[in-house]
Parts: sequence; C-alpha cells; structure tokens
Amino acid sequence: MKKALMVSAALAALWPFAASAAERTLTISVYAFAQDDFKTLVYDPFEAQCGCKLVVETGNSVERLAKMEANKANPVVDLAAVSMADALAASRAGLTDKIDTTKLANFDKLYDVAKDPNGDGMSVGYTFYATSIAYRSDKMKIESWADLLKPEYVGHVAFPNVTTNQGPPALYMLGLSLGKDTPDLQGPIAALGEKKDDIVTFYEKSSQLVQLMQQEEIWAAPIGRFSWAGFTKLDLPVAWATPKEGQTGGMNVLVLTKGSKNQDLAMQFMDFWLSTEIQTKLAEKLIDSPANSEVKLSEAAAGNLTYGEETAKSLKLIPSAIALDNRAGWLKTWNEKVGQ
Amino acid sequence: MFQNRAEALALALPAAVFATVVFLLPVAILLSEGFRAGGAWTLSAYTGFFSETLNRTVFLRSFRLAIEVTAVSAVIGYAAAFAIVNLPANGKGRMVGLVTLPLMISPVARTYAWIVILGRTGIVNQAITGLGFSADPLRLLFTETAVFIGLLQLFLPLMILSLISALENMPKDAIPAARVLGANWFQVFWKVVLPLTREGLVVGGTLVFTGSLTAYITPAVLGGSKVLMLETLMYQQVSVANDFVSASVIAFILIVMSFAANILLKRLATARSRR
Repeated sequence: MKKALMVSAALAALWPFAASAAERTLTISVYAFAQDDFKTLVYDPFEAQCGCKLVVETGNSVERLAKMEANKANPVVDLAAVSMADALAASRAGLTDKIDTTKLANFDKLYDVAKDPNGDGMSVGYTFYATSIAYRSDKMKIESWADLLKPEYVGHVAFPNVTTNQGPPALYMLGLSLGKDTPDLQGPIAALGEKKDDIVTFYEKSSQLVQLMQQEEIWAAPIGRFSWAGFTKLDLPVAWATPKEGQTGGMNVLVLTKGSKNQDLAMQFMDFWLSTEIQTKLAEKLIDSPANSEVKLSEAAAGNLTYGEETAKSLKLIPSAIALDNRAGWLKTWNEKVGQ
Repeated sequence: MFQNRAEALALALPAAVFATVVFLLPVAILLSEGFRAGGAWTLSAYTGFFSETLNRTVFLRSFRLAIEVTAVSAVIGYAAAFAIVNLPANGKGRMVGLVTLPLMISPVARTYAWIVILGRTGIVNQAITGLGFSADPLRLLFTETAVFIGLLQLFLPLMILSLISALENMPKDAIPAARVLGANWFQVFWKVVLPLTREGLVVGGTLVFTGSLTAYITPAVLGGSKVLMLETLMYQQVSVANDFVSASVIAFILIVMSFAANILLKRLATARSRR
C-alpha cells in the first residue's frame, strides 16, 4: 500500500511535465519592437485560446532570415514577421510556403494591398505605414519632396541613410520630384551627394530625430508614420507633409516557414493576428497601423497611424523585386556619392 | 605548483575547449569566408576590397582616428593618473571611482549625451557664441571631430586605470632620485616614468586602440554616413548587401590591426627600456 502511494505521489509530481510535453508549441520570429505590448495584446490571449505554448524569437530581419536559412532542413521557426522585400528574399531562397488563404477567416477583411503584396501567394500584410516628411511648420513650407534640397532649408534637414527602411522609399520620392525616376536611384542619390555637406545628418535610427528636432538641430526629416507620435509630444509646431508627389511607405508581412510541422497552428495564429479585435488593439496602442479594413479607430489613434482605405491605396510602395535586385547597387552608389 | 605537466594541462582543458568551441571556431569559420571563392582558397576578396577607393578611404580614416584617440588618451591619461596616484588614500579611492563610473553606463547613453552637448543649443556652442568666437552656432555634430570626442570619452577611463596601476607599481623614490640628479620634468617622464610604466601603456594603448577601431554605435550616431568607419561599413555589408564575404574581410582586417597594434606597442615599449 505504502509503495502504491509513493508511486502515485511520484506520478502526480510528474504530471505537469507530462502535460507540458504533450502541449503543442508554436515558434514565431518577429521584430523586437514593442514586445511587452505584443505579449499582453497578442501572445497571451492566443495561448489561452489555443491551449498551446508560444515561443517568441526576436531580432532584426538579417539575423532572423540567416537563422531560417541555417535551419532550412529542419525548421525551428513556424511563422515569421518580416518586410515585404525580405519575404520575397525568403521566398526566392525556398524558405517559405504558399499560404492557403481559405483557412484565414479574416483574409477578406484585409485591404487589397495587403492580401498578396508580392504577388506570389507567400505572404499576407499585417501592417503598413506611410513615409512622408515631418517638418517645422513655422520655419518652412513643404509642398514637394524636392523642397528638402532648397538652399534655405537643406542645412536643417536630416535624411534617412540608404541602409534604413526609410532610406530607399524617401530616395524614390525625391527622385520622382526631381524627374529622375529610375530603379537604381542614381538621380536622387547624386542630388543628395551634391548637398551632403549641407545636410545635417543621414540618420540611422529614427529615434534620434525627436531629440534633434527638439534641439533645433533639424527642421525636417523624412520619417515613417510609426515614428510620428514622438514628434507630437514636442512643444513645437511640427507638421506631417502631404507633398504633391504623394507619400511612400512600407509593409510588414507574415510568412509560413517551408517544412514547418506546425503550419495549422501557425495559420491559426496568423488569422488571430489579422482579426479585427487584435488589429484594433494594436492600433489603439499606436503599435501597428491596421491592415484589416474593418478596424475602426479613435480620432487620436487614427491621427497618429497610417489609416484608411484611401491612404492605403495612395501609398507608392517600392516593389519588392526592385528593392531586392537593387539593394546592393543602392548601397554602392550611396557610399560613392554620399559616404566618401 | 602542479605534480606534473599533464595535471596542469588537464586543469586548463575545460577552459580551452570552451574558448575553442564558442569563440575560436566561429571566428575561424567567419574569417575563412573571406579567403574562399568558388570553393578555392584565394586572396581575391582582399585585393577586391582594397581596389575600391571608398574602402581605402574608410580603412585609412578608421586607422587614423584610432591612433589619434590612443595618442591623446595617453597624454591625458598620464596627467590624470599622475594626479590621482599622488592624492591621499581616500581621495584616490574617490577619484578612481569617478573614473570607473562612466564604464558602468551604457556606451549608447554616453554617446547620446554628446548629441545634447555638441548640438546647436548645447553648452559647447553656447560657450562659443557667448564668448564671441562665432556669431552663429558651429556644426559640431555629425563630424569627424564629434566621433573623435565620443571615442575619447568612451575609452579614456581604460587608459587612466591602466596607467594608475602602472604608476603605483613604480618605485616611490625613482622620481625624486632623478630630480636630485638634475633631470628636468620632461627628462623625468621620458627616461624614468615612461620605461617603468610601459606595461600599463601597452595594456591601455591596446584597449583604447582596439576599442576605437571596433566601436560601432559611437561612429554611427555621432558620424553617420558622413564619417563612415570600418565597422559601420561592415554592418552595411551584412545588413543591406547581405555580403558576408566583404564583412569577413573587414573583420579580418580589424583583428589583424588590433594584434598589430598590441605587438607594435610592446616593441616600442621594449625598445625604449633597452636604451
């Protein structure tokens, strides 16, 4: 009897381990941005709903894609959040699978631009953002991207480095304004190179810009809408420009890892992330602009995000194939004209 | 100390295995990338790297800035270390604490502080305009000067601490003896202090030179694209161009330059002491 009790007690003690061993696990690879909020708003509710365990890996795109490539034969990650261009790079490298959108209850709610951004069926957009110019409305007037290079303004401008996500889109718009619209961005890079000594800095981190604006080091800088909230808190008249050439931007997407053993669970998670409820919560916290067209936002949130069908349609996004095929060339030209 | 050589080797084995697996092996694999092209061993990646004007400019700028920071930190470091070792015991402790304090603060925070200090409305520009040296604020940020100041502030404490240690190990009567024998202060420093503190200078110099050469955040934030350095170039090659071969070439150059600096400083110090 005593022996039986001891065995029972030992089995009871082992029960949690036995349960956790049977628990399904989904591994996702995401940007390190706002992870505390993501845990509260997305990860914890999903775990409660699916009865599964979520393992979250974070890092920049290069690190995460390199890891996916290294584990290609035996994938560790089931789902990843990356930029449009990185999704195409992953697709070209054979790292992703086609997404069966019939399994996504929320797919039809997405803006058209987010449904299949790369046209290969390998990704769906979960957020997009506009890129335009934040500027001191009391010091200058911005009607065109080319205004940034006017002699009276150029000495107060920060421009994104070509290595940042904002760099190529901003160069693309500058090129349009200068009538130099080629995928190699030679025209706008050369124009910036001529003014490189006047421009305050070619920034690497958008987080620097609020401080530079506050110190009156700069009056204007092309930024992504997700950086805008910080400028609104300054006690300065900072405006969001609507240049005549329009706004550009970028989109982040979700992809499924090829060969993942948890694709059904990954699809569940993808659908959860794209749902109106979760997209609304993320938007109200000013974390991500919604890709779900049914999301209705408060005025405060809408004013700080890239929101609405018209905005989504009006964004001039650089096609992923052009970004991928020209990236190394952009860097080379940039370093020759601006970096020397 | 040990019964035999085998016992000593056995004790060193775990550390050696650990260092080999987690450090030497990955570094060797990374560095080998730069010597391989199409499966064959070649130097083409290196000749290709140095054939580009931009790369040569960046290499020379990084090398020059690292030497300048090391030289200036040695001059300031000797003065500061001298002052500190001659303080009473409790004052010395406080000053060493003050020198050590910045090392406990993140380099990112220390670098961002310079954006405030060197900005158009920062204290440096306020002093310049206030004292009438210039009517308008000067552009100090995003220049090579800003990178130099940032790197100097970042690594100067390492030089001071190395020199304090070296000066404290120097015989107490060496300087008075030289003075009694008629040496002026320059001769005291050159013929007595420098040879006796050479180990501290070699350690401090290597740390400052290597640190300045390989720092990423300070050149990136205070210089940006306008002051491209080897490590910012390496980051670009990996993150944008996905060119691990070029990044491997730069990594190898940085390692070689760090080792070369250490060897050179040791040689210089040894040569000085033999005279």
